[in-house]
Amino acid sequence: MRPALWLSALSPLFIASAAHAAGTPAGTPIENTATASYDDGGSTVTVDSNTVSLIVDELLDIAVTWADPGDVIAAPDEDGVVLAFTVTNGGNGPEAAALTVDPNRAGDDFDPDAVTLFVDTDGNGTYDAGTDTLYNAGSPPVLAAEESITVFVLGDLPVASDGERSEVQLTATAATGSGTPGTVFAGQGDGGGDAVVGSTGATAADSGFYAILDADLDLTKSATVADPFGGATQIPGAIVTYRLVAEATGSGSLANVVITDAIPNDTTYVNGSITLDGGGLTDAADADAGAFDGSGISVVLGTVAGGSSNIIEFQVVID
Amino acid sequence: MKYLIALFALIAPVGALLANQVALDSEVFVERSVEQADGSVTVVVEEPTRVVPGDSLVFVLSYENAGAEPAENFVVTNPMPDAVAFVEAIDGGAVYSVDGGTVFAPLTELRVASDGGVDRAAQPVDVTHIRWTLTEPIAPGASGQLRFRGVVR
Repeated sequence: MRPALWLSALSPLFIASAAHAAGTPAGTPIENTATASYDDGGSTVTVDSNTVSLIVDELLDIAVTWADPGDVIAAPDEDGVVLAFTVTNGGNGPEAAALTVDPNRAGDDFDPDAVTLFVDTDGNGTYDAGTDTLYNAGSPPVLAAEESITVFVLGDLPVASDGERSEVQLTATAATGSGTPGTVFAGQGDGGGDAVVGSTGATAADSGFYAILDADLDLTKSATVADPFGGATQIPGAIVTYRLVAEATGSGSLANVVITDAIPNDTTYVNGSITLDGGGLTDAADADAGAFDGSGISVVLGTVAGGSSNIIEFQVVID
Repeated sequence: MKYLIALFALIAPVGALLANQVALDSEVFVERSVEQADGSVTVVVEEPTRVVPGDSLVFVLSYENAGAEPAENFVVTNPMPDAVAFVEAIDGGAVYSVDGGTVFAPLTELRVASDGGVDRAAQPVDVTHIRWTLTEPIAPGASGQLRFRGVVR
């Protein structure tokens, strides 16, 4: 070995050289042979050097990233809510990725009651019940060099309040081993060489978040009486105007909201008197939101977003 | 069979004599950056017991004239192993091939075809062979080294 001879020639540029991701597959041989020729008193002689043979060792690198675009929205007490993570083998050989999930992170608002890990078997990036396989710690998924897979965390969420968040962390670790970059697992590399921990430490973690969106409906009813003599006395012939204020609270929304109210005994509904936010509605069960079925009124509000309110009015005559 | 043996008997001593005159030896080392306790970074050169993609390799070709006559027009050619991307020559005077060893020239004079049929200037990564031609004969007993750097792809 003659390193001392050429140490002085090292260029500063080379010191900064960083490890590549993946690259030459583990187990690939690097063989170097040089050839020389020269003239020896008129004849040309050719000589080959010895052949230096190296084997490329396996680099262990794992990356994990949360794949959802933002907080995964869920309702209180919802089960099977899916978080998606991408697990990548950044190494140069096939490597099994051991997975662990931590739903009980500190500093968040609530923890899921239970979490289950699934591997995206069909590779479509979407959780498919019955198709994607339950993660088995006894045979973790094996990723080819530079391959990425999607891993799903299915969370069963508790009764949490509107706006509360829960952090869930997924960790993936190279099955061969992990640790300080440069750590060597002798003879354990793919293709017969060693396995060497790369810059990621061969383990990585990322967190995904659930956010609870909830909404409630507050319904307030009031009545105004107008008697035939310009007063407000409840006498036969007086018209009662009922006012229903439906106010949605919270940051979620409510679907399929229908407001119904029965016509009180000893009163008669005033035909065509239903209004929604000041606009008149017909009594027929038709395309518009209002209907009168002979015993009560109904108004279909559909999906109501938290923070919005609707005012419904209708009239009856006291018999 | 008798002919063959007779031929070998004639050729072997001559071949051995010529092959032994100038010896060529090939070695490979790994350069690693190691951070010292004081935070500075030193480059350490090691035997290549362990190489992974991205590692820097130094190839050392050593020659020695063990014969009694000077060796003239000494030319050394080293094909780049497939898994190694050429980086730079440490010793000057090298010429390169980017076409598998057909044409040799200084790298700045070489061009390679790129996508779309337009040639571009050759880059170190394109090098398929490196070659040195010594201008002076190697005197009897003289020796030297020719070195270059590569990186594991």
